[in-house]
Amino acid sequence: MQPQARKVSLSSGELSYFAAGEGRPLVYLHPAGGVRWTKVLDELARSFKLHVPIMPGFDGTPAHAQVKSMKGLAALTGEFIEKVVGGTCDVIGCSFGGYLATWLAAERPPLVDHLVLECPAGFRPKGKGERPADPEALKKVLFLHPEKLPPETKTAEQEAGNRRMLPHYGFAADTDEELLARLPSIDKLTLILHGTGDRMIPKESVQLLKSRLPRAYLVYVWDAAHAIEVDQPERMLAVLTSFLERSEGFMVNWGTLAVNPG
Amino acid sequence: MPYTHLDLQSHDWPFPNRYFDPAKASALYRTYVESMIHAESCGFDWVGCNEHHFSPYGMMANPNLIGGALAYPTKRVKIAMIGNLVPLNNPLRIAEEYAMLDCMSGGRLVAGLMRGIPHEYLAYNIPPGESWERQREAVQLIIKAWTEPEPFGWEGKHFQYRQVSIWPKPMQKPHPPLVISASNADSAKFAAEMRATMGMVLLADLPSGRECIRVYKETAKANGWEPTAENILVGMHTCIAETDEEARRQLAQGLKYFDEVLMGGLQASQRIVLQKTRYFETDESRDRWKSRLDKRKTLTLEEAIERGTVLCGSPETVVSQIRRIHSELGHGVFNFTVKVGTLPDEVIRRGMELFRDRVLPHVRDL
Repeated sequence: MQPQARKVSLSSGELSYFAAGEGRPLVYLHPAGGVRWTKVLDELARSFKLHVPIMPGFDGTPAHAQVKSMKGLAALTGEFIEKVVGGTCDVIGCSFGGYLATWLAAERPPLVDHLVLECPAGFRPKGKGERPADPEALKKVLFLHPEKLPPETKTAEQEAGNRRMLPHYGFAADTDEELLARLPSIDKLTLILHGTGDRMIPKESVQLLKSRLPRAYLVYVWDAAHAIEVDQPERMLAVLTSFLERSEGFMVNWGTLAVNPG
Repeated sequence: MPYTHLDLQSHDWPFPNRYFDPAKASALYRTYVESMIHAESCGFDWVGCNEHHFSPYGMMANPNLIGGALAYPTKRVKIAMIGNLVPLNNPLRIAEEYAMLDCMSGGRLVAGLMRGIPHEYLAYNIPPGESWERQREAVQLIIKAWTEPEPFGWEGKHFQYRQVSIWPKPMQKPHPPLVISASNADSAKFAAEMRATMGMVLLADLPSGRECIRVYKETAKANGWEPTAENILVGMHTCIAETDEEARRQLAQGLKYFDEVLMGGLQASQRIVLQKTRYFETDESRDRWKSRLDKRKTLTLEEAIERGTVLCGSPETVVSQIRRIHSELGHGVFNFTVKVGTLPDEVIRRGMELFRDRVLPHVRDL
C-alpha cells in the first residue's frame, strides 16, 4: 500500500508525516534510523488508518528550535495526534520510537489506547547492549536476516543526520531514570516486543519495563534481532494484530488444532 | 532400559507390542531403578536414562518418571535425563518436568535436551525435516521458561505461547546444566552455542570423536566461552567382570541381543527416514551418520575394544582402557551404558561394585 506524504503545521513548526489505509487510527513512531516502510507497516495499513510522523530533524526534515528533549518530542507528538488523528489512538513505537511512545503515554495518557513498544530504547542497564558506530557492524546488530531488507532509500547524509538527532533530544543511552520512575503510573494495556537475537537492547531492558508497567505483556519474537519488522514480519504481525484487535484476548488461541475437521 | 524377554528377531517397525508382557516389564522397571539407586553407593557421579518410543530398544517413553523414582532414594548422585526428545514434545512440558525434578532432587538434575534418533519421528508423527529447526527453537524456549523473571510470550516458527510463567522453576541457577548430543559437527556446534555439555555415544572410532570435540571447542570460543573437560561426555557400552574373558563373554551375549533383536526394527525405520526426508540438513551429515552405524555394526567386540569404542574387561583392563580413551579425547564425563541388551542384572551390579573398588580409585583424578 503506497503511503501518502503529508505535512501539518504545529506550534513549533511544520511536521512531515506519512498516512496510509483506512480504519481505526494507529500512530507509528519510527526508530533512530528514520522511517523505513516495512512489510509490517504495509500490512497494518490494510486494517488501520496509519499515521507515521517524521520526528523533526530525521530523514532530512528540519529540526524544531524549541523541541530539544524526549519530553518535548512527546508534547509535539501529542499535538500531532490531536490535530491529525483527532483523539485517542493506538500507538506503536520502535526502539527510539518506543522510548518516545513511553514518554507520550506518561505525559498525555488520554491520547493513547493500546501501547506497543517494539524493542524500546531508554531503559538499558549501564554497560549492556551494543550500538556500534561502524555501519557494517551496526547492520549485523540490527538484522539477523539482512536479506529481507527492503531497498534502501536513504542517502548517507540522511543517515548521518538521523544519528545526530539522538544527542539533540537528550536520548538516554542507558536508563532514563525520570521516565523509569513514572512507569508504574502508565495504565495503558501494553505489548512489549523483543527479538530473541537483539543485542542492541538487552533483555534486561524489556524485563525491567515488564516489571514496572502495570498492564504490560512481554512477547519474544524468535529468530529476530533488533529490527523485528525486517527479520520476522509475519511473527510480529501475528501477535501485534491480535493484540490490537482483541486486547487481553490476544492470549487466547482462537484458531483450531484439528488436523482433519469433519 | 531395554525389554529383554524376546526370543525372536524382527526387522519390522514398529515392533508389534503383542510380545509385550506387562508383568515382566514391571519386574524390569523395578530392577532398573534399584540398579540405578545402587549406582550411588558405587561412587558414580550421575545416573541417567533416556527417551525412546515404540520399541523394545527402550521402555522409557518418559524418562522423567524414572527420574522422579530416583529423586528420594538417592541423596548425592546427579540425576541425568539424557534426555527428553525436544522436537517431539511440548517444550514447556519439558521445562516444567525438569524443573520439578530439579526441585524434588534438591538441585541434582542434569538436563539433556536431545533431538532424538530418526525413528522417533515416525512414532510421534513429527516431520523429520523440521527436526533441527524445532530443536533450535525449543531449546531456546526452554531456557527462557527457566530463566525469565517475568511472564513472557513466545512467537516462534514452531511454537507460540502468548504467556508463559512456569511453576516450579528449577532450583539450580541460572538453570540446570545442559547436555546436548554432539555426535556430528552440526550438533557439536549447536551444543557449543547453547553452552551445553556435548554428549557423544556409540562412537565409530576415536578420531571422529576428536573431530566433534574440535568443532565444539572452536564454536564455544567463537561464542565467548571456554569449555572444560567436564563439558565433554563420552558414552560407551561397558562391562566389567572379574576377568577379561568373563567380561567379553557376557558383553558379547548382551550385544547379540542388542544388535539382532533391539536394533532390528529401528534400522528399518531409520532407513526410511534417512532416505526420504531431510532429517539431516546436509548429505554429508547423513552419510557420516550412516557410516558410523555401519562401522559399528560390522565391528567384532574385539575390534571395538581395540578401537576404544567399548569398555570391557577386568577392572585392571578397564582402568587402562579408560586412561587410553581419556588421553585421546580429554573428556571429563564418562557415560557407562551398563545395561546392554540381555546382559544379566547381577553381572551389571557386580560390575558396578568392581568399578567402585578397583577402577574408580585409579581414574578418579584423571
